[in-house]
Amino acid sequence: MTSNTSARKQPAIIRFFASIGAFFMGAVHAFAQGDVWVKLSALLWGVSCLARRQFVKGILLIAEQLLILWAFFGLLWPYLLKFGTLGTVEAEQIYDPVTRRNVWNNYDNSFLILLFSVLAIALAVAAVVLWLRNLRLAREVELRAKEGKHINSFREDLRDCLGVKFHRTLLALPTAGVLLFTVIPLLVMILIAFTNYDRNHLVPSRLFTWVGWQNVSSLVNLTASSSFAYAFRNVLVWTLVWAVLATFTCYIFGILMAMFINHRDTRGKKFWRVCFMVAMAVPQFVSLLLVRNFFADAGIVNTLCKNAGITDWLHSIGAIPTANYIPFLTHPAWARPMIILINIWVGVPYQMLIATGILLNIPTELIEAARIDGANAWQSFRSITMPYILFITGPSLVNSVVSNINNFNVIWLLSRDVYTTSDQLMANANANEVDLLVTWLYRLTQDQSNYKMASVIGILVFIVCAILTLVAFSNMIKGDKEESFQ
Amino acid sequence: MSNAREFRSKPRLTPARALRITCRHVVLALLAIFWLIPIVWLVVTSFGIDKGPNLSTFFPKAYTLDHYRAILAPGGDSVNQFPRWFLNTFIIAVFTCLISTLFVLMVAYAMSCMRFKARKPLMNIAIILNLFPGFLSMIAVYFILKEIGLTNSLTGLVIVYSAGSGMGYLIAKGFFDTISKSLRESAYLEGANEFTVFWRIIIPLSKPIIVYTVINAFLAPWMDFVLASLMLNSGVSAQKTVALGLFSMVDKVNRNNYFAQFCAGGVIVSIPISILFVIMQKFYVEGITGGSVKG
Amino acid sequence: MRNRKHFLWLTAMFMMVCLVMTGCASTDQTQPGVTDDPQATVDTGAVTDAPSGDTVNLRVWVGDNEDVAWINQVIERFKAANPSKTYNIDVGVQNEGDCSKVVLSDPEAAADVFTFADDQFNSLYNAGALMEVVDDPDGIRAANTEDSVAAATGQDGKLYAYPATADNGYFMFYNTEYFTADDVQTMDGMLAKAAEAGKYVAYPMSNGWYFYSFFKGAGLDMHVMDDGVTNTCNWNATDTEITGVEVMQALLDIAANPGFREADSDPFVAGVKDGSIIAGVSGTWNANVAAEAWGDSYAATKLPTFTVAGRQVQMASFSGFKLVGVNKYSDNVGDAMDFAAFMTNYESQVSRFEMRRQGPSNVEALASDVVQAEPAIAAVVSQTEFADVQRVGSKYWDPAAALGKIIVNGNPDNQDLQTLLDNAVAGITAPADQ
Repeated sequence: MTSNTSARKQPAIIRFFASIGAFFMGAVHAFAQGDVWVKLSALLWGVSCLARRQFVKGILLIAEQLLILWAFFGLLWPYLLKFGTLGTVEAEQIYDPVTRRNVWNNYDNSFLILLFSVLAIALAVAAVVLWLRNLRLAREVELRAKEGKHINSFREDLRDCLGVKFHRTLLALPTAGVLLFTVIPLLVMILIAFTNYDRNHLVPSRLFTWVGWQNVSSLVNLTASSSFAYAFRNVLVWTLVWAVLATFTCYIFGILMAMFINHRDTRGKKFWRVCFMVAMAVPQFVSLLLVRNFFADAGIVNTLCKNAGITDWLHSIGAIPTANYIPFLTHPAWARPMIILINIWVGVPYQMLIATGILLNIPTELIEAARIDGANAWQSFRSITMPYILFITGPSLVNSVVSNINNFNVIWLLSRDVYTTSDQLMANANANEVDLLVTWLYRLTQDQSNYKMASVIGILVFIVCAILTLVAFSNMIKGDKEESFQ
Repeated sequence: MSNAREFRSKPRLTPARALRITCRHVVLALLAIFWLIPIVWLVVTSFGIDKGPNLSTFFPKAYTLDHYRAILAPGGDSVNQFPRWFLNTFIIAVFTCLISTLFVLMVAYAMSCMRFKARKPLMNIAIILNLFPGFLSMIAVYFILKEIGLTNSLTGLVIVYSAGSGMGYLIAKGFFDTISKSLRESAYLEGANEFTVFWRIIIPLSKPIIVYTVINAFLAPWMDFVLASLMLNSGVSAQKTVALGLFSMVDKVNRNNYFAQFCAGGVIVSIPISILFVIMQKFYVEGITGGSVKG
Repeated sequence: MRNRKHFLWLTAMFMMVCLVMTGCASTDQTQPGVTDDPQATVDTGAVTDAPSGDTVNLRVWVGDNEDVAWINQVIERFKAANPSKTYNIDVGVQNEGDCSKVVLSDPEAAADVFTFADDQFNSLYNAGALMEVVDDPDGIRAANTEDSVAAATGQDGKLYAYPATADNGYFMFYNTEYFTADDVQTMDGMLAKAAEAGKYVAYPMSNGWYFYSFFKGAGLDMHVMDDGVTNTCNWNATDTEITGVEVMQALLDIAANPGFREADSDPFVAGVKDGSIIAGVSGTWNANVAAEAWGDSYAATKLPTFTVAGRQVQMASFSGFKLVGVNKYSDNVGDAMDFAAFMTNYESQVSRFEMRRQGPSNVEALASDVVQAEPAIAAVVSQTEFADVQRVGSKYWDPAAALGKIIVNGNPDNQDLQTLLDNAVAGITAPADQ
């Protein structure tokens, strides 16, 4: 990656809108200056292609346009019309004793209205972009024709797909997948934050509708005594603490472990590595559910501790509330550190593997030079190994913090059905002390069918992650160390 | 790949150093034991005589193969359909793996080796999308699949697991970035088009990253139960995946009868994965580190 | 509106748009040849999907894999009793405790007939997932116990589910080696005996379902209001005969007793097995565990009394039923209702008792000598007098559990008991749309 930041660059947002404007104006100019075929192709997309003897392309474009129009007006339009209210006709059924079946009215399903409306809007945007683009292309081809330049045949177009326009071929399917199964669902769920979609308004029997910023304000309103606002603050703090601790403990232990194993004095490096990797190969849900039973209140560790007298001793110094068991995963003061420890157990082997790879790649000259300069092991670690590892893994550290914010498995598998909060305000919001924002979100949807609040929480998670990423990356770029190892 | 330390001559073995070396290995052994205890417990419980979790002693009182027999030949058992789960998951994993790997490599090549106007914006969008918690959109994905009529089907799960996989291109892109530009340029000079370069030059050079991607994509369906539990909601045991099925064995109702079978299932699933890991370890490490050097 | 095929079109088109956007549509665009338009004026998805001939497809969810043998036998009898039709019945297992979650996430995809615990009746009813019992509701009402019918009746007074068992409540298990029938009359007596023996009496205090017993027993109330979602609760009352604070104090005393142990499902089973728990409150689902561990000295009875403000007060409880619901969105509601009625009739309940030791809600079956001889069921019946049908909104559970947890921990921060109650009541009675 080269640092070619030119001095006079406008803010990204301005450049973004400027390019949209340019794109739009380009199409307008194309339309104004183009000949009759170009103008006609604003109505029927493929016309100008047909006029330039690009028959296959022309027909495909016309087919595409018709398909889009049909889909938009034939399929999606009825839903889009109801977008403002999200439906008004509630489901009603009459039991027909003769056929012994229910006869339903033509009821609205708010969720489907939302989903198809978003699809319709996405399709409309795509259609406009295509339309403008086709205008410009039509004009370009017209100019080429006038200048007597070569106009691509369909066969040549196809060849370009594997040549200069190969990126389009490559990106088409992956982008379509992301659009349909990531972007559109995300948009739908973001919109749900502004509706009253909860257990009293469950589709298909009930309707939900828009409520504006109500849900957001009940979550972030700092003055309100709302239990949701309280729970949100607490869960957010723990989420951040967790993300930072989980990331750095695994990171540091992983590197130390890798160095330890790769040290010249260690025999049987492969053997040790495999030992730790076995823990990685057991699927996480198996190992976590197992560990959870291991440390359960009535689990094996508790039995052993009880027999060894550890439980009684802990009780006598007041570290645990009952003398019966150690609440490894059921008391906040114990469960939080335990969860971090268990995460170390789960995460360190992976870090170790990465660090091993990096250590093997450290430029030899650097360490040799340091040794010749008389640096001892610690000095060369501090001034060469560590900075090198940091340089390579720094950006991915930010990513790990973000992915730990969204680390659902560890917390959920360890605390589900086991952890009961004793914080009343948390309980009133269906949260608990070990919840991350995402586990809380999941519980709200699965157990409480409270989709609207879950959606608000999801958006806030995004905002938190976005701020973190922005801050981290802008700081990292400030301390530009890219050159030092290249 | 050369190891820096090997250039150094080894110091002589003094008693103090011997002690240090011993200590080092003792510490390692202790750590390894710490790491392996739960795994050992998994294995011994799966061979143990108790059906439920053994709560009083670490090692079971007696050993048996019954749980393995039960899990491999469940007959009409309504909870345990392990062979079916295994088959389901295997099919899903194979197809997910094919599609995902292809998607990841395609996107990575486009982003790494080609220059076009939408490149930077698309990369930024991918970063932004990755910041949203994944299962926020789960419910909407479910309804989309339901509208296509693909819930409770293997195809549906393959789509769910692989549709968004293109966004995980970063590590592969990092790897492609390290492949020397001159290789591609000389190919262009010889008249190769982008497709040829991608297929004939870059892909053959990318063994580590392909292995890395394949392993990751192949493992995902074995690990996931959140999406699967939403998409497979018929309640029919034979339609489940391994993760979902094993999960149902340790819920409140079944735990006391199926915990040992759960462990046996866990062991059976872990064996091929472990082997995969050990064999692929080298590639895997190269893949990650090669990719993250530039990441 | 069920238009799957539209969506196929849309998907295909989406792909195509993306392809053409790349400016190089490949020529082999294939489109699925689907043309029919099911978006008729009346969405009769059921009719369009109607099976040809007289084959009826039904999907049934039972609550436990051990019910499968029983349900298969019921299916055989059902088929034999209805020879005019061909039934194709699939059996799935869906934990009764989680059934509503799965049904609510998408009623259209749920089974035609499903079994659920009565605590979920309200959510299912409110979400409009349950089909009203239109075939002979009075017959069902007459055949089953009054409470079980009440548990299956909606706010509108109509019957929405078929009572299947009446044993889903909780009661006291005890080991006769340690307790006489007299000891188990009072909580104090039991705790004293247990403490003396160095053993424990188990009670799942931090579980709202069991926690209810104490307050209700002391005359304080909590139930869902007429809207079916919001709770009313006077646990923090100060003007009642026994105040909430007095109950809290009594509970703290119980929890602090050396003979007391907080233990839900797993710890309870573990404790019973290793002999440290010699009595405890649980339900029929743990009867086998206790019977195996204690052998001949296994016994069960109603809940004891406990001391509050110097008085002995009988503990109340939730009575519990398993209900069978018919999915309103089923394509074959009529047949589903037939099957639901069949799987909860006298014969089926008797066979369920015989195969699964589950106590019937059918009056006639319940009265039979065999059933009455089962200690766990006798205990359920003797507790019935003090048990309420569960009418609880979803906001109850977490706040109640938190309050129980604080008591189990012995109120470590020494918070004011009235404040604790006020907080809990605020959570329990919070509007359900929050």
